[in-house]
Amino acid sequence: MFEKKSREGIISAGYNVFSLVVVLVMWTIFCRWQNSPFFPGPKAIFFAFVDLVKYGDIEGVSLWLHIWKSLVRIFAGFGAACVLGIPLGLAMGLYPKFYNRTRAVIEPLRFIPPIAWIPMAIVLLVGFQRYVFLIWLGAFFPILITTLLSVAKVNPIHVNVAKVNGANRFYIIRKIVIPSVLPDIAAGMRIGLGVAWMCIVAAEMIGGEMVGVGRLILKYAELLRMAEIIVGMLVIGIIGFIMNEIFIKVEKRIFRWRSQVGIE
Amino acid sequence: MPNKMVHVDVSMSYGSLAVLDKIAFDVYENEFLAIVGPTGCGKTTMANLISGLLKPAQGRVTINGRRADPKVQNISFVFQEPSCIPWRTLRDDIYIGLEIKGIDERQARKRVDEAIKLVGMEGFEEYYPHQISGGMKQRVAIARAYVTDPDLMLMDEPFGHLDAQTRYLMQIEVMRIWQKLRKTVVFITNNIEEAVYLAERVLVFSKLPARIKGEFKIDLPRPRDNTDSKFLDIRSEITKMVEVVE
Repeated sequence: MFEKKSREGIISAGYNVFSLVVVLVMWTIFCRWQNSPFFPGPKAIFFAFVDLVKYGDIEGVSLWLHIWKSLVRIFAGFGAACVLGIPLGLAMGLYPKFYNRTRAVIEPLRFIPPIAWIPMAIVLLVGFQRYVFLIWLGAFFPILITTLLSVAKVNPIHVNVAKVNGANRFYIIRKIVIPSVLPDIAAGMRIGLGVAWMCIVAAEMIGGEMVGVGRLILKYAELLRMAEIIVGMLVIGIIGFIMNEIFIKVEKRIFRWRSQVGIE
Repeated sequence: MPNKMVHVDVSMSYGSLAVLDKIAFDVYENEFLAIVGPTGCGKTTMANLISGLLKPAQGRVTINGRRADPKVQNISFVFQEPSCIPWRTLRDDIYIGLEIKGIDERQARKRVDEAIKLVGMEGFEEYYPHQISGGMKQRVAIARAYVTDPDLMLMDEPFGHLDAQTRYLMQIEVMRIWQKLRKTVVFITNNIEEAVYLAERVLVFSKLPARIKGEFKIDLPRPRDNTDSKFLDIRSEITKMVEVVE
């Protein structure tokens, strides 16, 4: 079984390299055909990346500093979303009345895109708060909603096993409900993390500081320099991808008890 | 005459649907009582009422003179559905009742080991439920029910989801354990043969709203032989009563 797994891993890695190459080739062909300074090929993008690493951007700020600043903002906003979204979701799931009686407030808020909040954020907040607020907005609702819905899916038999042994409410929440909902919360966190990255450009548009991957993109957008913009886009995509992979690895380790259900 | 342990005298309805209609009976100490009846006749509701998981609409269930309440009495329940806790190893799963009741950890460990031995699951202690078969999961549920040394054990169609072969083996197993430990058991099933094989006394429930239609004392020697003519007579008599159209 082990052997089969590692073989499958190698094959899958091979196909991933292959699909990457296909996309790069198609990109190159498309770029040649367009022949426009606004559609750089993979080579031009690579050189733009090297320059950004070596010399920094037009103001001399290194790519690593851009990345670092964005990471800090993401973790602050995402962290705030977890800290508020998970307990609130649990409370609303455990006491459905709480949710039913506040729906009219929560549900409409959920559909307002973070970008629409920009003017409000500018008026009400300053500096770092603005970044955190916009990223929090994006990550909070997926985390809240998945947590809330997961409580309803707790198997009543497991609750009854505890009850018939004389367990009180506190035990049931701590030892039955929370372990049951953790995998769903983790899935909600992963979605939230994705949305957090989607909000980074909006957040850095108004944050004030000239540093951050989103800011990097905006800076070069003003100059119409597409190669650097694409570097910024790819950096966001790749960091998001790596974080997601780490997240999945951790989930697999923590939730070892789950049967390996796949779509294969 | 043995002590009356459980006294039931209840009616129950869900909204306008009457489920139990003035059901009254007693369970004696150390008795193995089976309740049979057609599917959907309120047998599970009965089990939930006896365990105190449900409160009756009218009347009451008392255990040793006090209202049934799992926080007060030592009750255990083997559910029809698979009930293993997915994130607990089998050892921890069986331990859950002792953990809730706050039994000293060293003693608890000893009792868990005994319960594992009782159902023949040695060597599987560190497995998770998704790694074992349906029959083994029900064994774990039975071990979990015995480990707390309960006053009363409820088994609600515990073998309903098992294949015929495993079911047969589990019946033998349950009988062996009961003969050894003599717990008071209320066993609910829609399988008449199973009831006659296991129980000392069988109550027959009617279809909804359930009433008690009949009571059979079964004093066949053990181990019982399900091809024996007396066994077959009792079985067919109960079957007729269950199937009769009113």
